[in-house]
Amino acid sequence: MNEASLIGLLFATVSFGALLYLAALGELLAEKAGVLNLGVEGMMAIGAVTAFIAGVEFRNPWLALVIAMLSGALLASVHGFFTVGLGAEQVVSGLSLTILGLGLAAYLGKDYVGLPPGAELVPVEWGSLSELPWVGPILFSHAPIVYLALAFGIAASLILSRTRLGLALRAAGESASSTDSAGHSVLGLRLSAVAVGGALAGASGAYLTLSITPQWAEGLTAGRGWIAVALVIFGAWRPSRVGWGALLFGGTLALKTRLQTFGVDFSPIILSMLPYVLTLLILLIISIQARKRPSPAPAALGLAYRREER
Amino acid sequence: MKLPRLNLREQPLPGGQPLAFGIGLAIALFVGTLLLLGAGHDPVKIYSRMFEASLGDPDAWSITFNRAVPLGLAGLAVAVAGSMGLWNIGAEGQIMAGAIAAAWVARIGGDWPGLILILMMLISAIGGGAILAIGPALARAKLGVNEIITTLMLNEVAIRLVQWLIHGPWKDPDSFNFPLAPMLPDQARLPTLFSRAHFGLLIAAAVIVVASVAVRYTAWGYELRIAGSSEATARYSGISLPTKVLTVLVLSGAIAGLAGGVELAGTADRITETISNGFGFAGIIVAALALMRPSGVAAVALLFGAVQIGGQSIQTLGVSSSVSTILQAFVLFGAIGAGVFSRYTVSFGNDSLPVNEEATS
Repeated sequence: MNEASLIGLLFATVSFGALLYLAALGELLAEKAGVLNLGVEGMMAIGAVTAFIAGVEFRNPWLALVIAMLSGALLASVHGFFTVGLGAEQVVSGLSLTILGLGLAAYLGKDYVGLPPGAELVPVEWGSLSELPWVGPILFSHAPIVYLALAFGIAASLILSRTRLGLALRAAGESASSTDSAGHSVLGLRLSAVAVGGALAGASGAYLTLSITPQWAEGLTAGRGWIAVALVIFGAWRPSRVGWGALLFGGTLALKTRLQTFGVDFSPIILSMLPYVLTLLILLIISIQARKRPSPAPAALGLAYRREER
Repeated sequence: MKLPRLNLREQPLPGGQPLAFGIGLAIALFVGTLLLLGAGHDPVKIYSRMFEASLGDPDAWSITFNRAVPLGLAGLAVAVAGSMGLWNIGAEGQIMAGAIAAAWVARIGGDWPGLILILMMLISAIGGGAILAIGPALARAKLGVNEIITTLMLNEVAIRLVQWLIHGPWKDPDSFNFPLAPMLPDQARLPTLFSRAHFGLLIAAAVIVVASVAVRYTAWGYELRIAGSSEATARYSGISLPTKVLTVLVLSGAIAGLAGGVELAGTADRITETISNGFGFAGIIVAALALMRPSGVAAVALLFGAVQIGGQSIQTLGVSSSVSTILQAFVLFGAIGAGVFSRYTVSFGNDSLPVNEEATS
């Protein structure tokens, strides 16, 4: 293993980490408000395809990113309408959303398969920082969306822990009826959290087609939405821990394609089981600890709220 | 502010769920028409082709039946767990575990007599599905770990297990280095009933009937439904919840495993990474549309199978497979929405606290 390939591995770790972090942050927000959205894979696919199409048509990567986020939010709002508005089962609606998102993405993108990208997010120039040995190429040579992911993470962490809005949002996920009594709109909080979550999943998809790949093909998201769902649990619903988890899981994605070049005789398929196995282990540890201290999971996660039935 | 409000009906609308499915289908047909027109196709021609291919003649029926078998068994697996208020999201993985176990038996028993081979395949398929469900079942029963997430995670593990097997230990030496498992021996195939319909139809029907009767009419099933509606009531009446949770989730996994074994021996030539083909996820939707009642699963699975087979058939007319995927999604959302309205009425009242029920009735 030489220096260049190790740098390449670590660069890709950060890159995949940011990709997973964006989607996982979105899922975290929705779950904090009490809404489990298993449609992440579908929202990522919609973000990926709309960003690519917008890039080809308008040749502006930032406009493409905004369109991808709006599309993700719009798709997520379908889930919001059915689960928050109508009180339908979140599991069923979320899985249906994955089917809808993947189908719509394939339909919209069928004339764009294999086209060259019309717009790309180019790496940020950090001046002399980017020139530093090791640190420069690994941390300071990424597309702007990677630094946005970090900024979103810090913002989410601060909003959730330090603001009234964050408090209300967490309350909606812990006890909807008391949030309602306190004069906050549970409906409004949950719908917004789900929509913002969709926007972040859309941004994650956009990162694929505006920078990482950068092309459109059916099945491009390749199950990474499910890793994002796992990450939220792995990180015990805390933005900072989810961030470290994203780097770890991103590392497994980065390593998967490089095992052979490093001369490691280990199945990349077995390696790709790691995020899920680790999440299962963490879940077990959380539950064993939960006998002594409260579980980090939002108490009202998965429960519909109807004021009339409380 | 005037906001629409949902009010629980005292009784769900009679026939509400079939109606919901019908409304879902109608919405899907409408949206589908727009999509087809948008892509420059003739909707009438496409829809009649869908109908012909899925329900038009006995051959079409046989293909739809073959699709309804894994959908029905997967739906039953989810519904059995759902009768107790548990979510088995892992049917997809358990189907693959069942298929792996059955394929393994077919590998070692290639020279056994057909009947014994198939029986052993199906039994080990049941075991394979059950084994994948044991972990989540124990975690839920003993530690209270949410089974939605554990079963979901194991799906991803199971599909990678299949991939690893067909890329590695089970790769066919004669496959020119393609990651393919060898073909199943001929005597490992389920017999045919008519046209292309295989014996799995009878297996699935029998299992669904037995499970429906067990859940509906036995003491075991009664306890199950009690536990599903109220944990407290169950505890007061002396039902051991952990034991119930454990047996129900493992049983659910076993049924999904059987679906994998039947699918392998019935329609697949060999085990592939698409052996489950989304049946596990579709099973969740089938069960939800059947309101988690095992007895309703068969009808929903048949209708859903017809929608899937019809959707596949129009690809030969140049319609992108994504249209059929979108149609399915709209059937689902339409049915979910309509299902809600079969249990609730909408009123436009003040956005204030509800009026006391006694005062209104």
